[in-house]
Amino acid sequence: MEADDARSPVRDEELRPFFEMSLDMLCIAGFDGYFKRINPAWERILGFTREELVSVPYLDFVHPEDQEKTAVEAKKLTTGFDTISFENRYRCRDGSYKWLLWRSTMDFKTNLLYATARDITDRKFSEDEMKQTAVELKRSNDELAQFAYVASHDLQEPLRMVTSFLQLLEKRYSDKLDGEGKRFIGFAVDGSKRMHSLIQDLLALSRVQTMALPDALTDCAKVLRDVMEDLQIAISESDATITCDTLPVVTADATQFAQLLQNLIGNALKFHGKDPVRVHVGVRRKADEWLFSVKDNGIGIDPQFSDRIFGIFQRLHSRTELPGTGIGLAVCKKIVERHGGAIWVESELGRGSTFFFTIPDKKAPQSG
Amino acid sequence: MTICQEVEILLVDDNLGDVVLTKEALKESSFNNRVSTVRDGVEAMEFLRRTGKFSAAPRPDLVLLDINMPRMNGCEVLTQIRGDQDLKLIPVVMLTSSESEDDITRAYELRANCYVTKPADFDQMIKVVQAIDVFWTSVAKLPRRA
Repeated sequence: MEADDARSPVRDEELRPFFEMSLDMLCIAGFDGYFKRINPAWERILGFTREELVSVPYLDFVHPEDQEKTAVEAKKLTTGFDTISFENRYRCRDGSYKWLLWRSTMDFKTNLLYATARDITDRKFSEDEMKQTAVELKRSNDELAQFAYVASHDLQEPLRMVTSFLQLLEKRYSDKLDGEGKRFIGFAVDGSKRMHSLIQDLLALSRVQTMALPDALTDCAKVLRDVMEDLQIAISESDATITCDTLPVVTADATQFAQLLQNLIGNALKFHGKDPVRVHVGVRRKADEWLFSVKDNGIGIDPQFSDRIFGIFQRLHSRTELPGTGIGLAVCKKIVERHGGAIWVESELGRGSTFFFTIPDKKAPQSG
Repeated sequence: MTICQEVEILLVDDNLGDVVLTKEALKESSFNNRVSTVRDGVEAMEFLRRTGKFSAAPRPDLVLLDINMPRMNGCEVLTQIRGDQDLKLIPVVMLTSSESEDDITRAYELRANCYVTKPADFDQMIKVVQAIDVFWTSVAKLPRRA
């Protein structure tokens, strides 16, 4: 095409092919409320014939719930305000409705309304579907958290009966029981106590899920001091030395962060080797996150299990070797993920383990 | 320590097992207790107000109150006790299996004297019940009744 052609104004007859083939609906309507001219897209999208469309007032095609706002919008046009982005529903021949997005203007010389409408039904439906899915997901998550809470809560009561009466039985009737009888009671008490810790841990897991998302600043050094105080007995029993880097202030929930450190350090104390326990809590600044590490000199983990240990109820040792419910690291994983980070372990059997986890730095600039 | 008087305790709990355990624990206490039990909040109020079959009920020195009960729950009982001129000064200890933060807050808002969660371990349960018994019936100074 020649350059001066491109600069010359568009001639009216050049527009006709576009009017005929437009994917969007184009129309001219009169003050009397009837369509004067419509392009073929109308017939294609709504399914009515041209004659049907021009023979009744256009407001008749509008969804009853949208008629009022459509009339208001049309009135605004007559006072000189163009429609830039207006949505309403138009009836199709088959009785269904299409969502239309409008742009219109009024020509006051001819008193005609020029409008173009785009079928946005698919977009509307996927928006609705997404909203619906989000609502459903939230409801089912809430229900699940509620269920875990109620279940753990209501399971405690009968369990307490079992444990307590077994203990009472042992207390009152120990002279009537032989060694084996006492041993049986021992097994039963042991089992119900284990059940109790399982329920407690499940409860802790469900609390992580229901807790609000973190947005407070947490001083990791202070959290570590508190955790070490809580673990004091275990630390002195295992003659452990715990050291740390200079720990930062991060965006995290303090209670959850404490639970995370407590579980990881607690594990380091529990899975100790022959040497005195040494645990180091390290931290490194990455582009937009903090990389924490909890390193011990314990028995280590066979690398083939390094993913499995974060699953719920996963244990690598028999209960007689080492007690535990297999929920601790699942709680850690949940906490880290809720904070937008990741957790993993690097370890070798007999050579200690290092647990790494990341906490995004919310203060960091977004572009890396 | 010399105890001149029997201590009257009202135990409000719908779980028979818990009633037995609490009474057993109180039995091990060195104090001279008399424990009466009722099965829910409605009975508790009848007992405290000496109505119906409880017309001859003693006035308790201490109420041990469960929360989750049929007909009338522990919080409702507490509200009624605190709103009653004759009963409002009676020490009420919530003794329940609920560890819910909401229950704890609610109980203190309704002026429970203290909130205790029943331990899962029976030996622990004995210690806790005895601690409650000793504290509220001999350590704490309570206002004289009208």
